[in-house]
Formats: sequence, structure tokens, C-alpha cells
Amino acid sequence: MATTITKTETFVGKRIRRKEDPRLITGTATYVDDIQMPGMHYAAILRSPHAAARILAIRTDAALRHPGVVAVFTGKDVEGIGPVPCGASLPGLRVPYHSVLARDRVYFVGHPVAVVVARDRYIARDALDWIEVDYEPLPAVADPEKALEPGAPAVHPEWPDNIAFTYHQEAGDVDKAFAEADVVVKQRIVSQRLIPTALETRGVVADWRSGEKSLTIYSSTQIPHLMRTLVAQALGLPENRLRVVAPEVGGGFGSKLNVYAEEILMGFVAMKIGKPIKWIESRRENFLCTIHGRGHVDYFEIAGKRDGTILGLKLKLIQDLGAYHQLLTPAIPTLSVLMMPGIYRFRNIRAEVIGVFTNCVPTDAYRGAGRPEATHGIERMVDMLAAEIGMDPAEIRFKNFVRPDEFPYATPTGLSYDTGNYATALEKAMEVAGYHQLREEQKKARQEGRLFGIGISTYGEICAFGPSPATPAGGWESATVRVEPTGKVTVLTGSSPHGQGQETTFAQLVCDELGVDIDDVVVQHGDTAMVPYGIGTFGSRATAVGGTAVYFALQALKEKIKKFGATLLDSDDVSFSGGVCICNKTGRTVSLAEIAAASYRAAKLPPGTEPGLVSTYFWEPPNFTFPFGAHIVVTEVDRETGAVEIKRYVAVDDCGKVINPLLVEGQVHGGVAQGLGQALYEQAVYDDNGQLVTGELMDYAIPKATMVPRIETDRTETPTPVNPLGIKGVGEAGTIACSPAVVNSVVDALSPLGVRHIDMPLVPEKLWRLIQKGGQA
Amino acid sequence: MKISGSYTLPAAPERTYALLQDPEALAASMPGCRELVRTAEDEYEMKMNVVISSIQGLFAGKIRVADKEFPARFRLLVEGDGKIGFLKGEGVLTLSPADGATEVHYDGEVQVGGMIAGVGQRLLDATAKYLIKRFFEKMAARVEQPS
Amino acid sequence: MIPQNFTYQAPKTLEEALALLADGTAKPLAGGMSLIPLMKLRLAAPERIVDLGRIPGLNYIREEDGKIRIGAMTTHYEIETSPLLRARCPLLATTAAHIGDMQVRNVGTIGGSLAHADPAADYPAALLALEAEVRLVRAGGERTLPIRDFFVDVFTTALEPGEIVREVVVPVEAPGTGTSYQKVAHPASGFAVVGIAARVRRGDGKIALARLGVTGLASKPFRADAAEKRLEGTDGAETDLRAAAAAVTEGVEANSDLYASAEYRAHLARVYAVRGLRSALQAA
Repeated sequence: MATTITKTETFVGKRIRRKEDPRLITGTATYVDDIQMPGMHYAAILRSPHAAARILAIRTDAALRHPGVVAVFTGKDVEGIGPVPCGASLPGLRVPYHSVLARDRVYFVGHPVAVVVARDRYIARDALDWIEVDYEPLPAVADPEKALEPGAPAVHPEWPDNIAFTYHQEAGDVDKAFAEADVVVKQRIVSQRLIPTALETRGVVADWRSGEKSLTIYSSTQIPHLMRTLVAQALGLPENRLRVVAPEVGGGFGSKLNVYAEEILMGFVAMKIGKPIKWIESRRENFLCTIHGRGHVDYFEIAGKRDGTILGLKLKLIQDLGAYHQLLTPAIPTLSVLMMPGIYRFRNIRAEVIGVFTNCVPTDAYRGAGRPEATHGIERMVDMLAAEIGMDPAEIRFKNFVRPDEFPYATPTGLSYDTGNYATALEKAMEVAGYHQLREEQKKARQEGRLFGIGISTYGEICAFGPSPATPAGGWESATVRVEPTGKVTVLTGSSPHGQGQETTFAQLVCDELGVDIDDVVVQHGDTAMVPYGIGTFGSRATAVGGTAVYFALQALKEKIKKFGATLLDSDDVSFSGGVCICNKTGRTVSLAEIAAASYRAAKLPPGTEPGLVSTYFWEPPNFTFPFGAHIVVTEVDRETGAVEIKRYVAVDDCGKVINPLLVEGQVHGGVAQGLGQALYEQAVYDDNGQLVTGELMDYAIPKATMVPRIETDRTETPTPVNPLGIKGVGEAGTIACSPAVVNSVVDALSPLGVRHIDMPLVPEKLWRLIQKGGQA
Repeated sequence: MKISGSYTLPAAPERTYALLQDPEALAASMPGCRELVRTAEDEYEMKMNVVISSIQGLFAGKIRVADKEFPARFRLLVEGDGKIGFLKGEGVLTLSPADGATEVHYDGEVQVGGMIAGVGQRLLDATAKYLIKRFFEKMAARVEQPS
Repeated sequence: MIPQNFTYQAPKTLEEALALLADGTAKPLAGGMSLIPLMKLRLAAPERIVDLGRIPGLNYIREEDGKIRIGAMTTHYEIETSPLLRARCPLLATTAAHIGDMQVRNVGTIGGSLAHADPAADYPAALLALEAEVRLVRAGGERTLPIRDFFVDVFTTALEPGEIVREVVVPVEAPGTGTSYQKVAHPASGFAVVGIAARVRRGDGKIALARLGVTGLASKPFRADAAEKRLEGTDGAETDLRAAAAAVTEGVEANSDLYASAEYRAHLARVYAVRGLRSALQAA
């Protein structure tokens, strides 16, 4: 045997730079729009300019006369396919038929009406202007509360009340809690509609091989396998005749956790014309037609004792659903209800959810999906209760936290929190921020007439989606680990990433288990022809569920490696570590590469062992995980203009064990940036007629690098027993924690004026008006 | 979008009232108006090519005059539709004598849809004011011509 | 986001360009930072584009006879970083640093920005405060206008069909002049919700010269003459600044949009006028 060197370097826990970054930052990655095929045609979609209208006539002949236009399809051509699927179910849920192209009516601005297929993308776009549609505009309603008023225009004529569903959940004795309370605080809190704004818009390429009767769809998606199942159904195609590929995906934030009309449509078009077809979403379309997030009007009531004990929480949640249910639309507000207890001990909860149709693009999962809305409300209400009884917002939180010895903790909403040490996280954040000193500074600032605020949010999350019984379409994940004959390692993961860095983190797991170098590991994903069925990346699940699947696949693989090692070493006592198998008796070793080669050569198989070194594992998580943390934000409001300055941002997050701190911080940074977007800048504004008036990045403000403050990150580490890696997940933490911390801080700044609450976004004019009026809204 | 303002035209209310409803005067004063055809009593169809520097839009539309109270007030209903969007507006014009001239006060609301609503909101207000101003300036120039 | 078909012409000389533009049916393309997005949205659909980018000699910043001449095709970045402007006319350089983002500043030009006349563009405030001049050329002629006669209304300038901006002329600042550009940037577009360019000079302890250029507030950028008059001859005390700032919005019909109502925008203009003047006085 050759001399082998045992690798002792470990990768888990280290700040390893992302393996995927070189191709991303040098422009050499392959996104959907980079795919070129011989004979490729291009699609453009004509969309409704009206929020509600009857389609009286569509004239396509002028477009069809152009030699470059190959076909135009309208609603009547697609009657056999679809509908756009909704994967969520609730008792009594009203599900409007969601045709892939509008039939006799349009329901929101951007509703697809016709698809043009042309030789090139320029002609396709031009041809949209040659199609004439006669619309009879109808009254529209864009505000969910107005939609509930009697006499409001009916979004779907068959349901004049505009109610898609109601959902009730209750625990404890709410009426008693409120009757016994010293203090009850009520507040209407809006979580405004947001536009996810992934850097890469959506795009689809569809390629039909008529001889093979097989269709390949390339789509910028978070869920290639689920898409394959659902699009195959929509097209009436056997699932094994459809391959879905998610190439490089440039961000999703939940907006690509969906199946859209365009994926079905392009499949249909490719099969009709027998040529590859490409459709790339414009930014305008992305704003108008890709799902929006949030869209809550929440009426909260909190009951408490004068000593700060929280007794109960009531919520009437009005969810703006938009005109249709996309994949998970109606399920999102139910996550808000699950999250209602936050990380506090109170047991009395009542939630009424009303899902309301509006003439707007559907809402669905957007980073946090229901949990930021809930956390924003809870953290605002806790602060308002504290203000009402004159208690420090940190103190009221310490008083009400679920205690470390109470885990696993059964929440009144039916969850079992795995582990937590909430006070420690808050203490750490207070220490990093210098909380008590900040309060002194604030006193001084107030004496000088400055509007100086300190805001806390202590959040919990439901992550690592999730146990299959509680997750639509299943919540497990798959992984295959393959040691190739040369000893290089290939990992196939079903948790198809869209920027999270699984290629790096999963490789780190492999390195430590197999003792290989990080450059010897390739993580592949996103192609249903290559990767066993998987669920996808969303709900802070990729590492906690997908990574765990990799871990279990590795354990099985290691057993097999040892068997081959034992055979090669002719020993019955071997161990495997650091990339070598060692005979515990003789000390002789054999390397992984040698074992791999032997396993494929198969000249001498260990008894009862198949050739090759491949292991596949489908891991079903027994529970969600429940990360938590504490963010503290210091703000100052310009008294003259109402402008908010973030002076400090402290983020202490506990996501359990960490594979790569660099990536965890990156997730926190990105999450916080998006939370700041909601808190300070972003709002999708529909006017009374259902026109999206923030229809471009010229008007819809997402935070730019220069608008994001320095974020002081720190961590506590409370592992979860839910998975053997102890990992909880971190993708959504920053977003969930941020908005209430910022709003609490600004409300604190303006509290000397009597301000109790401000709805997001905290745009300067809103604050200026409050300051002008001495705090009276 | 609410629109209101006033402009003084150098003619008595009676003549101003007539001019503001005169198809020829309207056609000549409306920015970019290419064609104005009377289709019924107090109803017109028009084609406009609105140009503001680089921005350009072809619109086909209708104008209707209603609630006429000579020479004090009337209601104007306008709708237009083009590739870059559509608009629908309604407003009341009130005419009051002012030293031999007429102060025309307008007060109305305009709905805008399509591309111009989605991407134009930063400049809609200023642009609407500009177009109205241009209309009245041209009208004023016309008023000053002997009838 | 694909524009309508258009004919593209890229002349190599100014004469050729002016000839191509002479009939007024073509649109000149400078940096394209406004025109191209408008074309992609099809809000602008010119049938013919004359690209000025291949014409040598339109990109320069040089001092001549006590004035600084800036070629129309000079980019915002070149203006922002020009040692000559930084030393001799810093207001224009600091204003350029506020335009859009790095990518826009690398490509956008001063001539293009002026000709487009967005009512919220940054340059006009500074150029008004500097009492700049613009040299305009067309086939067979040229003229020079004081900058205040150049802006007519929203997106509308004194440029005649076929005429383009050739050059911008700004003064070399006299010693003792302090300037400042203060801006509230729209968080999405970066355009000025309001932008105030202040330029002051002291003489015998009093304010001898005050110039205030205002952008973003109204349908066109303007000089706040009344405010300037109110300030000149005063000590420049805080109360003087406030009195002057109050005059900035008198009689002005302020713009209104989703981000800032007319009332708030006017308020911001007054606040930023005070801040601008204060900072300019500190620099004087």
C-alpha cells in the first residue's frame, strides 16, 4: 500500500469562501437567459392593463401577418391545459379556476391575455403592439378592507363577499385572560405588500423532443421537482416525460417557490410549435405578475398585568390574497397564527383569519412567509404593553420568555419548540449594544430635544420546513453522495439552491466526514434528470433538512467504505477517518481513492456488498426547528425632515450549530437588508383602480448597499436535537427580526411626542407629519 | 389623481364658454391633437399624439360635454387609450367674469392606467399641469384673435 | 424591455451630426441614461437616433479667460473627479457626485442631462447658482443662453428642433466663495426630491453675493431670486438664513408624488435651503 496522509483539517465551523462565487462574480454562470438552442423561438406575453375587465374581443390577425410571428395563443387555445396549481388546502377554501391565459375576463393588471411566439425576441415584443383587445373595464377593488365592505366590487362574480376563506384558531381561555387583565392594548398594524424583487427575474425555456415525446423545462425556480410533478399534471404529460432544470437561480426569496402560468404555457407552446421556446420576464412583468409578499391588515389586542405578565393575544388578520391562489397563497397567513405566541409563555390565543380576494397580483411566500408579519405584530404589541405600564422593553421580555428548562415547549398553537435560550440571546445583544449606556445617551439626547430611539425585537421562528404531515407536498429532503472511481466526491441534493451556498456548506460536511479536500467535492442540484426527487429550498430548510440528508447519506457511505477498506486491508477491525481506512491492528492504511477504485473495479467485493460507492438518503425531519435571536436598533429621527438614521444595528442570532459563519452572517446581512426595506422604504402601492403605481425600480425602493448600515453580528449557539447536526436554519432570521426592531426604535424615538405606533414603511413625510402634529396621527 | 387650478382667458365668459366647447378651438389647443370629430351632440372622438420631449404617446379617445350651464359651468368627460396606457378623466369647469376676462377654474379627477400609471407616477403631476397649461395658453392665444 | 425599431446613425463629426439632426425628426443620443430606459419602456419611440458618442472633441473640461468650459459629452464622473473643477468651481463637481449611481455617472453626460431636462435632475440647481451659460449649436448656427433661459418647463428646454447642447460654461470661483449642494435623494430613483445649490460670498462681513438654485421642487429648476435678495446684505445669521429659505417656496407650485406631497416637498426645500446656505457659508 502507498503511504497515505491522514487529513486532520476540518471544515465545518470555518469561514470558507463560497465555491459558487467565482462563476457568479465573473459572469460565467449559466442562467435561464444564457441558454441558447438551435431553432429557438421567443415568446412575449400580452398582459391586461386593467385590474378588472371583460374581454369582448381579441384580434390577432395583424400580428399573425408578420412573417416573423409564428403563432399567437389566447385563452380559447389553452382550454385543455392548466390550471395554475394551488397546493394549499383549508376547510371551505374557495379556489377560483386559474387559467394560464385569461378567458373572458381579466382579474388584475398584468393578467396574461395572449402569448406571441416569434422568430426573435424583438419581433415577439413588437407583435404585442399589433394585437388588439377590446376590454370593457369593470369596477375593481385593490384594498382588502374595502373588498370586505358591503357593495364592494366582486373580484370573482361567483363570490360577491370577496372572502376566500376564514380560519379560526384558539387556545386557552382568552375571554378570561382579557377579563382578568390590568391592561388591554389594541392596535391595527399593517404589514404592507412587498415586491420580492429577485435580482434575476423569472424565465423559462421549454424544449420538446417529439420523437422522444419528452419535454425539458428550464426555469428559474426554487422547486424543480415539485414543478415537474405539477407542470406535468397541468400539461397532461406523464411525469417521467418531463425534465425540469433549475440552472443558476439569481435569488427567489420565496417568489420562485411557485408554479406560474408561464411554465405551463411555455411547455404548451414548445409542444405546439415543435421548437424550443424562451420567455424571459421583464422587470415590469416581475413587479406586476410574480407574487408579492405580506399584505396584512392585523388587528391586535394584548392583555397583560401591571407587573408585565402577558396574559393573552387576540388577532383579526385580514390577508390580501390578490385575485388568485398561487401555490401556497392561502397557507401563508396560517403560519402567522402558528407563530403568534412568539417566544413568550402566555397560553391564551385567539386568531381569526379572513382571506380576501382583491384585483391585485396574488400574494404568497416572501422571505419569512407569514412569520415576519406575526413577529412584527407581537413585538410591536409587547412594546406597546411595556409602554402602557411604564416598563423597559427589555424587562418585559425577560419576564415573559419561555425558560430554558421548559423545552421541549408545547406552544398553545400546537408546536413543540425544540430548544431555546432566549434570555441569553437578549443579554448578549444588550451587552454588544451597550444597552444601559444607550438608555443614558437617550436621556441626554432627549434633553437636547433630539429624537433618539432604541428598539428591541426578540424573535422566534419556525424553520427547517418541515415534518411532512405539516408541510404541503412533503417536507423531507433527499441527498445522494457518490465517491467516483477516482476518489472525487459528487453530492446530489434535492434542496435546489438559489443563492444560499449549499455547494459550499454541503461540501464542508462531506470534507469532514470523508476527509477529502473541498476542491474534490462537487455539489449538484436543480436537474430532475440527475437528482433524485427532492423538495427544494425555502423556509430556512436547505441546511437543516437537506444538509441532514447529506449527513445520513454519508454515514451509510462510510459503512460501505469501511467494508471495502476491511477487504482491501484484509482486516476485520478497521476505522475510517481523515480520508483513510486504517487497520486498527497493523496500522496499515488505504486511501479513499484506492477504496473507491476498488469498489468500482469490483474484483473482490466484500460479502453482501454491491459495487460502487453511492449512497442515497431521504430524510424526514421529526419536527421543525425553532431558531431565535435578539436585534437591537438605535435610530435618530431628524426632527426637521422626519428622516430616519440607523445609528447602530446589533443582531444576535441563534441558528443552532453553524457550518460556515461567513454564510450565516451573509444570510443575516441579506435578511436584515430586506427587513430594512420593509421597515423604511418598500411598499407596493395599488391605486383605487388596481393600477400598480410603484411599477418599476424607479418608484419602488429596495435598499441599496449604501442604504444599509453596518450590522454588528453576533451569535449564541443552542443546538437542536431535531437533527444530528444541531442545525436550525438562518435564511429568514434577519428579515423576521429586523422590521419590528426598527419600528420599535423609531416609535421609541418619537414616544416623547406621544407616538404609540407607526405603520411601515417609515417614510420621512409620515414621520414629519407626526412630529408636526405632536404625535397625533 | 386630482387636478385643479385656474387660468384666466382674455374674453368674456360667454365667448370663453363657446370657445371651450368649439371643436375647432379644442382641436387647435389640445396638445398633440391630430383629429377631432364630432360624433353626436356634445360628443367628439379624437386622436392625439402627445409629445413631451422624448416621451411620446398616441391616444385615441372621446370627449363628452355634459351638465351645461351657459355661461357659468360645464362638465367635461375625457377618455383616451393608447399603447402606453389609458386615461379617463372627468372635471367641472367653472367660468367667472374677471375684469372683462374670464377666470376658468377646473376641478377634476383623472384615472391613469397601463404603463404610464406604472412607471410615470413621479412625473404625472408635473406633466398633467404642463399639458393643461399648454392647452390654456393656446386657447388664450386663440381668444385674442378676433372672432 | 425592448425598444421599437429605430434607425441608428453614428456620425464622426459634429457637422455631420448637425446635418443629420437638422430636420428635427431624429433624437440625439448622448449618454442615454434617460433616453434608453424610456425607449425600452416604449414611452419614447424615436424613429431615428443620432449617437453623439463617436464625435471627437466634445468631451473636455478646460479653463479659458477666467471661465471653465465643459464639453457636452463630458461624463458626470469626469466632472465629479476633475481636479480643475474641484479646485476652481467645486460646486459643479460636488453636485455631479450626487447624480444617480456610479454606473450612471460613468456613462451619463452633462449635455444629455441638460437637454433631457428632468425636473428633478441635479445639475440644473448648481448651474443656476453658478449663473452658467450653455452654448447651443445647430446646422448653420450657434447661440449662447444664460442657463436660466434654457429651462422652459417639465422636460422642455429652449432647444429648437435640430439643436443640441454644445458646451456648458461656468465661472472660476472668486476667492471667498462658499458653495454647497444639498439633496434629498429619492430612495428608489436617486433623483432629487429637492436639491438646493447654494453659493455665497462675503464682503465686509456681510453677504455680498447669494445664489440659490433649486431642483426637484417645481416643474422646472429655478433660481430663488427673492431668497437671494433677502440674504444679500445681511450678516448671514441663522435668522437671515431662515428668512431667505422661507422665500424659496413663495409663489412656487410644488410637485407632488407618492414619496412627497407638495406641502412636504416645499418644507424640505426650505429646510435644505437653510442647510445649504449654512454649509456654503462655512465654506466661504
